[in-house]
Amino acid sequence: MRNLVLSACLALASFFGLANTAAAEGLTLDGPPKVAMLYISPTNDGGWTQAFDEARQRLEDELDIRIRYVESVPESASAIRPAVERFIQRGANIIIGTAFGYSDTFKSLSEEYPDVAFLNGSGTTNGPNLLSFYGRTYESQYLCGMAAGAASETGKLGFVAANPFGQVNWTINAYAMGAREMNPDATVTVVYTGAWNDPTKERSATQALIDQGADVIGQHVDTPTPQLVAQENGVYGTGHHRDFREFAPEATVCSSVWVWDRFLKAELEKIIAGNWVPRENGALLSMEEGGTDIACCGPNISEDEEARIMAAREKLMNGELDVYAGPLSDQDGNVRAAAGESIPDGELWQMDWFVDGVITQQ
Amino acid sequence: MDLITSWIGNIPEFAVPFALAALGLIITEKSGVLALGAEGLMLVGAVAGIGAYLTFEQNAIALIMAMMAASVVSLLFALMVLVMRINQVISGLVLVFFCQGLSTLVGTLMGWTNQPVPGLHAIALWPLSELPYVGRFFVQNIVVYLTPVIFLVTVWALYRSTPGLRLRAVGENPQASDAAGIPVLGYRLAAIVVGAALIGLAGAFISVLSTKLWIANMTGGRGWIAVALVIFARWSPWKALAGAVLFGCIEALIPQLAASGIKLSQYFVFMAPYAITLGVMIWVAASKRDTSSQPADLGTPFIREERT
Repeated sequence: MRNLVLSACLALASFFGLANTAAAEGLTLDGPPKVAMLYISPTNDGGWTQAFDEARQRLEDELDIRIRYVESVPESASAIRPAVERFIQRGANIIIGTAFGYSDTFKSLSEEYPDVAFLNGSGTTNGPNLLSFYGRTYESQYLCGMAAGAASETGKLGFVAANPFGQVNWTINAYAMGAREMNPDATVTVVYTGAWNDPTKERSATQALIDQGADVIGQHVDTPTPQLVAQENGVYGTGHHRDFREFAPEATVCSSVWVWDRFLKAELEKIIAGNWVPRENGALLSMEEGGTDIACCGPNISEDEEARIMAAREKLMNGELDVYAGPLSDQDGNVRAAAGESIPDGELWQMDWFVDGVITQQ
Repeated sequence: MDLITSWIGNIPEFAVPFALAALGLIITEKSGVLALGAEGLMLVGAVAGIGAYLTFEQNAIALIMAMMAASVVSLLFALMVLVMRINQVISGLVLVFFCQGLSTLVGTLMGWTNQPVPGLHAIALWPLSELPYVGRFFVQNIVVYLTPVIFLVTVWALYRSTPGLRLRAVGENPQASDAAGIPVLGYRLAAIVVGAALIGLAGAFISVLSTKLWIANMTGGRGWIAVALVIFARWSPWKALAGAVLFGCIEALIPQLAASGIKLSQYFVFMAPYAITLGVMIWVAASKRDTSSQPADLGTPFIREERT
């Protein structure tokens, strides 16, 4: 009998508890924030994951919290799920993922654990307690394109890219537009390697571009190989993910870098403050919000040119400059954005066209 | 002009790892042991080579250590297939997964990721290096020039020496070899270890000499292509070398075409090496020649008491 009363009380209490959360608009953490991160590769990968780990260390200092992490979690549910569930059992209530391939598992976990906040870098799924985020890499790569255009003597730029996806193509187009800002005749020849992490293919792609006369090599692949090959050949390059002057100080004139802490600090503060409502379609971060930035400028860039690049950076930071604002046409003459308009995010993700000056096999 | 010169000059970078790995596989498989672990042993060679270079700063030591490391890891495979007589297909696959984990773990813990190394100086073979178009083919590092020599020595050892004859006999008919007093398991062990050394050298060539840095899983499936090459070449070393050069030609051509802006769908180009392999294998099967060149006892564990 007592048991029955007790369970009835509990049921009633949980009913009110539920009603309470349902009444509130967003997610409020039960206790103090406990953050845990899942990395797709080792922390010293020199690129994507290392940028996240550097952001984690800055976040720990700035927010005065401890952030746990686990490295090399592959993109399969059987690996992601146990890692996340163990963190949650130990009291974590904010989980940050770092991979496109975590998207589906994070979606189902966020439904199973509605009291936990989920964030996922380069993910594609969103929900009431799940926010995917990525940077508008075309902004920082536009600036690197400017640096490349300035550093180039021949006006022939090369670009080593992974796969012709929307978010790779948008960096290529922006790179070409940036380069043409400094040198109206600049061209960007693109080699896709078909892999994010194949230094052998990156090396031969870079060498082929240099043999064809390119004297600045941009990149949207994960290893610093293109910068190393550029340095061996005595030409220049622009890096991606982190400041690649670490690897090729004589070659790297500019790098597009991730500054996740700028975004995550603000977002974590919102979560900690309570009543967190993630953006419905995910967060595609402008430089202003803190997704990407540049490390600039390396050799062969004059002070005047550097000032122009930094002025453009300022404009991107305060929203005066939109890389994909109209009037904008692709190289076949199709209008992609009319004057006064800009390309919506959905179309950016599907970009399969190129602006004037880009030379590809596509 | 630039395209052709640059293309031909880049062929050895791609061809040599395929050739060395395929040769290593042929040595092992001629003894009757089916070796599918090339991808894993190449990864071990790649990480060991970079690790040894970063420690000792000597290319020769790096390459030798890479060969030794792959041989040591192959002892595990030998234990599985020779002593415990586990299915050779499964053992080979397990070896690949084990080596992927092992090489990533060691390389990451030691902090060898993305550490550039200088590689070997290219040596110009004068006067060949002055030839138009093909000149750059003769400006390569010493290991590229040694590759045909390694092939010559291996072919001589396999087909002209008594140990080579015995090794092939073990692969064709282990019972008869055993009756003739040849230590079957001893020859198979030696074939596994020597083959692994060459596969390890192929891995170290990729990391230390060609790419000049290491990242996890950097061989990117080239070990599997070597496995296919061996079947494609019907276990003949010279045909394997020709196949490796053919693959090298295609792989080296892909970026050249893109860099020249030639309009050709990259998906078609990426598919080309595999489509050609498939085509040649079908051609070989259809022509019905050389079908006996596969070692007769390939993939069968040797049990002395068993008479067939």
